[in-house]
Order: sequence, then structure tokens, then C-alpha cells
Amino acid sequence: MEPLIAGTPHIGAAQLLLHPDRRVGADLARWRSSGGGAALARAVQDPAAVLAEVRQADLRGLGGSGFPAWRKWEFVAAEAPKPDKYLIVNGNEDEPGTFKDRLLLEETPHQVIEGAVVTALAIGVNRVVFYTNPDLARSLAAMKAAIEQWQASDLLAQASAALGRPMELQLLPGSGHYIGGEETASMEWVEGRFPFPRGKPPFPAQAGVHGCPTLINNVETIANVPHIIAQGAAWFRALGKGQGTGTKLYSLSGDVLHPGVFELPMGTPLRELIFVHGGGLLSGKPLKAVFTGGPSCALLTPVDLDVAMDFDSLRERGANLGTGAMIVISEGTGIVKRVAEYERFFAHSSCGQCNSCKIGTANMSRLLDRIDTGCGTAADLATLKNLCTMLPGSGRCHLINGAVQLLDSAFHHFPDEFKQALR
Amino acid sequence: MSKGIPLAEALARYRADAELGQPPVLSDIDALLSAYHPDHMSGSAVKLAVGANAGDSCQRELAELLQAEAFIDEADLAGAPVTDIDVLVIGGGGAGCAAALAAAENGARVLLATKLRLGDSNTVMAEGGIQAAIEPEDSIQRHIQDTLRGGHNIGDPALVSALAGDGPEVLHWLINLGMQLDQTPSGDLHTRRAGGMSTPRLVHCRDYTGLEMMRVLREAVIQHRSIEVWEQSPAVELLSNEVGQKCVGAVLTSLLDGQLRIVRTRSVILATGGLGRLHLNGFPTSNHLGATGDGLVLAYRIGARLCELDSFQYHPTGLLHPSHLAGKLVTEGVRAAGALLVNGLGQRFIDELQPRDVVCAAILRECREGRGVCVDDQRTGVWLDTPRLERAQPGLLEQQFTSLMTRTHVAGIDPRREPLLVHPTLHYQNGGAVIDTNGATTVPGLYAVGEVSGGIHGRNRLMGNALLEIISFGRRAGAAATANRDRGPKKVTLEHVNHLRRALTLAGLPMTQQAPQILPAYAAGGIWNR
Repeated sequence: MEPLIAGTPHIGAAQLLLHPDRRVGADLARWRSSGGGAALARAVQDPAAVLAEVRQADLRGLGGSGFPAWRKWEFVAAEAPKPDKYLIVNGNEDEPGTFKDRLLLEETPHQVIEGAVVTALAIGVNRVVFYTNPDLARSLAAMKAAIEQWQASDLLAQASAALGRPMELQLLPGSGHYIGGEETASMEWVEGRFPFPRGKPPFPAQAGVHGCPTLINNVETIANVPHIIAQGAAWFRALGKGQGTGTKLYSLSGDVLHPGVFELPMGTPLRELIFVHGGGLLSGKPLKAVFTGGPSCALLTPVDLDVAMDFDSLRERGANLGTGAMIVISEGTGIVKRVAEYERFFAHSSCGQCNSCKIGTANMSRLLDRIDTGCGTAADLATLKNLCTMLPGSGRCHLINGAVQLLDSAFHHFPDEFKQALR
Repeated sequence: MSKGIPLAEALARYRADAELGQPPVLSDIDALLSAYHPDHMSGSAVKLAVGANAGDSCQRELAELLQAEAFIDEADLAGAPVTDIDVLVIGGGGAGCAAALAAAENGARVLLATKLRLGDSNTVMAEGGIQAAIEPEDSIQRHIQDTLRGGHNIGDPALVSALAGDGPEVLHWLINLGMQLDQTPSGDLHTRRAGGMSTPRLVHCRDYTGLEMMRVLREAVIQHRSIEVWEQSPAVELLSNEVGQKCVGAVLTSLLDGQLRIVRTRSVILATGGLGRLHLNGFPTSNHLGATGDGLVLAYRIGARLCELDSFQYHPTGLLHPSHLAGKLVTEGVRAAGALLVNGLGQRFIDELQPRDVVCAAILRECREGRGVCVDDQRTGVWLDTPRLERAQPGLLEQQFTSLMTRTHVAGIDPRREPLLVHPTLHYQNGGAVIDTNGATTVPGLYAVGEVSGGIHGRNRLMGNALLEIISFGRRAGAAATANRDRGPKKVTLEHVNHLRRALTLAGLPMTQQAPQILPAYAAGGIWNR
């Protein structure tokens, strides 16, 4: 998938992770002089306190699930090494409209590495894999340089000493497949196979990479860890608004004046993101809908403008924050065409191991293309609606669920647009 | 401004056998151009605020269109039928046909879409001829030098040498297609020397060379199995990939039913011609009805770099009288054959075989300084002394300038007995989309050939180089466009339009005007009404 925004996206309202002081690039000395290393020093003294602090901070999985990160940590921490434990820092970022992790990897690689090392210390991991989208050349180069600096520095040696065994850092370019970002699929790739998602259970925390306990967290989640440890959980929680804790990188794109990445308090209302930070809609057109996600979540419509964009508030509305991508659609943009494009993306991205997903996404995409190109009939629409009830939950991973949720939500909010496009 | 000498008085004073001296020696060409050429008129050029040429000088009427809002939104494309094709050629003139033929010869499936009908173009209006260095005393090098010098040394030498080098081969290709060209009694191709040429190099077919060329191109295109032709199908927008930086198709509409159609393709070749119908600076034009600069607008909006946007060619000898023929061309071939330009006082005022911009500026000088012949308050011109030519070479006009004779006969004028009243007419856009020797623009997947492209002619085009350019670069672009054999676009979007809208908003420009224009306002009523 090509990036939605070419080159380096515009960065606005950066507070914590993308604060200019953090964006030192692959320069370890500058990172340390700007306060880097403090979290590691604390973790080396008292590894057990890290997990408690992260639990206090209620750090969530920022790669899309919103599942409390500390709960996954606890599972892995409770397991014994067999003989290793793995941490996969997931930077596969490949879905339409999401372009935040690439910035963290490119501009703040040491923040990510320090977060990963602190996490590894907290839960006893000795093998850390930075799993990165292979198409993002600048992110890869920055991470490569940064990891080499860590391996040559005393920081990694201190961590290894505290852990009681050598800690290894590895940079692993992914396969370039969207599905490779699914957590069990990433384990397959680390093991050297095609990234087919695995069934669960067993959960990765019990038997992940090569059967070892494995923690998989998104780049943004890991990048928050050093700040929680250095500044404390209470400080971190206070950064958020309402129910949210900390900050969130929102990838804003579509029909807005200033697309880009905005780091705002978790729980910032959608209205503020679009109209204050995004400069409002292009040509002053009315808002029609927002695809959140990547587009694997339900649509937001103008009535949702004042919803706080945190995981829980959105879930109450039947939507999902996902990766924090907000693809804004104005009145001049057709829903059918957009949905058809995203379903085509899912059809291309399906790994094909579950029949329902392989055939289901392809069929949905084909029928939507027919409707979008003026060849669709009422029967096609009925078939699509039928598929929406049959398909969810039928795959090993969540790809098919996301594909259906998007379509179902589009049917719900914009039934007329689909009918109008029929022959 | 003094009006000049009234028509009746000037006609009474005119003598075809009067002794005419040499024209005054032209001391400072640059001063003449900057004082009288329409490109240098005050208020004629503005600076572009957005896009790839932001900060560059641009003709005012064109700038308004380049910085205008698009016709369509993404929502308008809902339910639009989609056609997949290897190469889309937009434009049904000589350049479009040559590109389509070259692409089809290279194995591509080609769709040629044209705003009006196949052959409704400025190609058919090209009367003078086509340049090619085929004479024994001529050479490619001299052709290159003449072209660069004529363009005030602004032209791109790589493009000019590609053009001149293709000349003989282009003639060969056209003759193989069946094109007729005038011959000497011994059967060689007949050549003329025209403005700006150091030696005879103009090959021609009477005074309808372009029409004859279009005849064979049109037949070849219609007969080719791999070329589909959509007439009355103007392009309203190009399509880009999801970052808005690669051209992956176009949106066409139909003048008949107004329906939008999406064409997805690997390469788009713009061959949309010029913009005479924008009537820059209020000038009449020699251009056909569809010449509204659409290609420039579409290319600029998708991010292509353009060049020489403030430089246009005004043909020195457009008819001024009678008024319903205003702007129609009298071919430069008449001057090449020896016809002189005479002002209302019966004096020569310029060497008639100077490059077009110089002759044009000289005519405007005569008119502005009261030595022109005035028909009424608005219209002033100078004489093109055809009766003198007839006296010197009896029968030449009738034999070699058939279309001129026909046109004037219909208007009740006999150029053999009375001189023609002429005035500069907006003729050609010297600049256009920046291209390389394959016709590729700065946007991947987008090619531009013919008048819509720029860089060859500098700030002034020589006669006969346009017909050469459309075939030479048309064939180059057609072949290059088929070399792209990727799997075609995954996604077609209007993202580039959003880029432009962002830029327009940030620059504080209004988005009230929509472009491209498709048809001039005075012709649009009832035909093109969105």
C-alpha cells in the first residue's frame, strides 16, 4: 500500500512523543542530553516497579486494539523463558490513512528503543525485534543506525546486567503485506515464514515465537513507556482528557486543509482535531463522514463530532479508534467509491488461508466495484447485505471482521448512496 | 492613439506598380518587441501564486484558468462507467493521431478521445508547410540553429535536436501514409524558404499542408484495429494515484449526453493543442473552436511543470477585413513567395521574412503610430501586397494558394487585384508543459505532445516547425507511453485536485471560476452546459 501522504507528513500540536526536543534522529548523544536514558536508569535499579507504573498509567495498545498493554505484559511476565522471551515492536504500519509509526521510527528511534529495552527489563524479555514496514526506507535507516549505537553503548550492557543475561536487539524489515501487521502473523515472519495469522489459543504470551512467551506491542505504545517511567503514572494520566490517558498520534487525512500527524491529548473531540488542528474542510464543504481506523472500523458522521476520541468513548458509540487514523470525507466525495476502494484493499490484503475471508472479501470487492461503476443491480446490493451477516467471525484473524464492519456501517449511514448508484 | 488612414483613402492611394524602396534597417529587435509585441503589453502578465510554476510570469487569462477550481468532485464519479485501456490519447489533431498510431504500432490498445470530431484541430489550419532538412545544401545542424535562434535561444537544445533530427524520417513516414507533397518538375520535393530560415526547408502541399496531413492521419487512425476513437468527448479532469502524484487516467464527458466516464490507463498522452480561443489581450485568433487551453489546465492541476506561459505567437497576417473572416490566416507562404507588407502610406516598414514576432510587432507599431489602414474605430491593419506578387509571378496565387483564393473569393475579394488588409492574430502558444525527448512531462504517466507541450520553440516558433513537432514528438511519446508495462493503477482518485484546493485556500485565492473551459463562452450556449 502506498503511503497516503507522500514524503514526511506535516506534524502539528506535538506534545510528548513528537515534541521537537524528542526528534533528535539517530543521535544517541543528543537523545541522552535531552533527558533520554533516565527511564532506563530507573528500570535498571528496580525492574519490578516498571510494570506497576505502567498499570497505574493505564497504557493502552495504540496499534488499534486499545487493549490494556499492561495486561499483556502481566501475562508474559508470569511465564518462564522457554528458553527465551520475545518482544516484537510492531511497526508494520501499512493501512490506508495511517502514517504515525514511521515518524516515530524515523525521527525518534532512540525513544522507541529505550521504551523497548525498559519493557523488556520489566517482563524479562531477552530478545527484542523491531519489526518494520520494509517500504519505509528512512525509518529503516534511522533504526539501523540507532540500534548500532545502542549495541556500542553502555546502556544495553546495563540492561543486560540487570536482566541477568544478554539482551539482543534486532531490526527486521517486514514482508510488505498488510496482514503481516497482525500480531500472530508477525511471529510467523520472525520465525522466517510467510506471515499467515495463527489461530488463538495458544496466545502469544504463552507460546509465541518458536514457542517462547512473546509480547507484541505497537511502536507508539512502546514509545510512551520511557515517559511513564521517567515522569510517573499520575503525570501521564493527566495528559489525557476525560477518560483518556496520555497522548495519541492522530493521522488526519482526506478533505481537510492541513492533513498530517497531530499529537493531542487522548480523548480530544473529533471537532477539535478537524476544525482547529486540521484547518477545517477543504473549500468549506460540510462534513459527511470520517473513516477511522485504518478504515476497518465503523464510520463516524457529523453527529459524532463531539465524541471524545479515546478507545472507550468511541466503543460506546459502536465505533473504534483504531490506529488513530481519521480519513475525513466532505460532501463532495462519494461513499460508494471510497468503500469500494477500501474493500479492494482488504481483498488484496487477505492472506487467503481462511476460505470465508479469501472468497468473502473478493466477492464484496467485486460487487462493490460493479455498483461503483454503474453496473450494479438490486440483487448485488442484497447479496452484499447478506454477506455482512454471514461473514463476521469466520476468520482466524480480524481482517474479515474489519472489512464487514466498514461496509455494514456505510450501509447503515448512507443507504441512499448505494441505491442511487444502482443501474 | 491615432486611428490611421481611412480604408477608402488608402485604397485610392494604393498602386501595385509603385516603386517601393528597401524597408528601413531594423536596428534594435529587442526594443521593437518590448515596445509593441502583445506579450509585453502592460497588464498582460501576472505572477502565478500556486502550483509547480508558482512565482513565474503567466498570461493573465491563462493564470485565471490554471488557478481555478475543478469541474467535478469525487461524488460526481459515483456510478460512472469505467474503461480500462493501455494508452489514452486526449486530442484528435495531428499530434494525437501520430501518438495513437505510434502507440498502436507498439502493441498497445489505444483510446483516442477528442473534444469535437477527429481532425477538428489547428493541424488542418497549418497552411505553410513542414520543415525538414532535406536539401543538399541544408543540414540538421542548420535546422537546429535556425530553430534556436528564432526562439531567442530559449528553446531546449536537446528537444530541438531531436525535432530537427527526426525531420527527414517524419517526411518518409508521412509519404508512406499517403500524404501528397508538392514536387519540382524533376520529381524532388519542392521547398520554400520562410521567415527565420537560413535556407529553403519548407516542404508543402499547396497552401493546405496541414489539411492534407490530417487527411492521411485520420484515415490511418480510423482504420487501425487497436485504436478506438471517442468523438465529442472532452476531458474534464485527469485522475491521479492516491498521493496525487502520478497520472493514472482521465475523466471524460460527452458533449451529447453530459455523462462522465472514467478511463483507467497506464499512460495519458495530452495532445490538446493551444488556447487561441481565450483571445488573449482581446486579439482575434486563427485557432479552431476547441482551442481553449484545457490540456494546460489539466496538466498544471496534476502537478506538471509548464514553461514560457507569458509567450504567445501572434501571426502577423490574419485577415482583418471582411469582419466575419477576422483572425483567419493568410499563410506565411505568401510572404515566402515574395509578397510585401505595405503600410497605409504605401511604404515598406519591415523585412517580411523576419521571424513572426518581429513582423507582428512591426505591424502593430505601424497601426499604433497612425500609419495603418483603418476600417472603423476598432480595426486597423496594413496591406499585404498580393497584386504586386501577381504582377511579378503571374498565376502563382491561383496555383499555389488555393485555399486563400477560395476563402477570399467567397468574401468577394480578389487578391490578384486588390491587396489584403491584415493584422496580427493570436496563433500559437510557444510554451506549455515541460517535456523530455520522449514527450514525458514532470508527472509520471503523463505525456504531452504538440502545442500543449513547451520548450522547443523558445519564445517564438518558426513556420513549419509545428507540423514537424506534432509528428516527431507524437510518435516519440506514443512509443514511450507503451513502454510502461506495469499492472495499471490500483486506485484512481482526484487527490491532486485536493492538493490544488489546499494551495488555493492557503494562498487566499477565490475558487469561483471552474476550469477547463471546454468551449469558448460565446459558443457554449446550448452545446456545453453543465
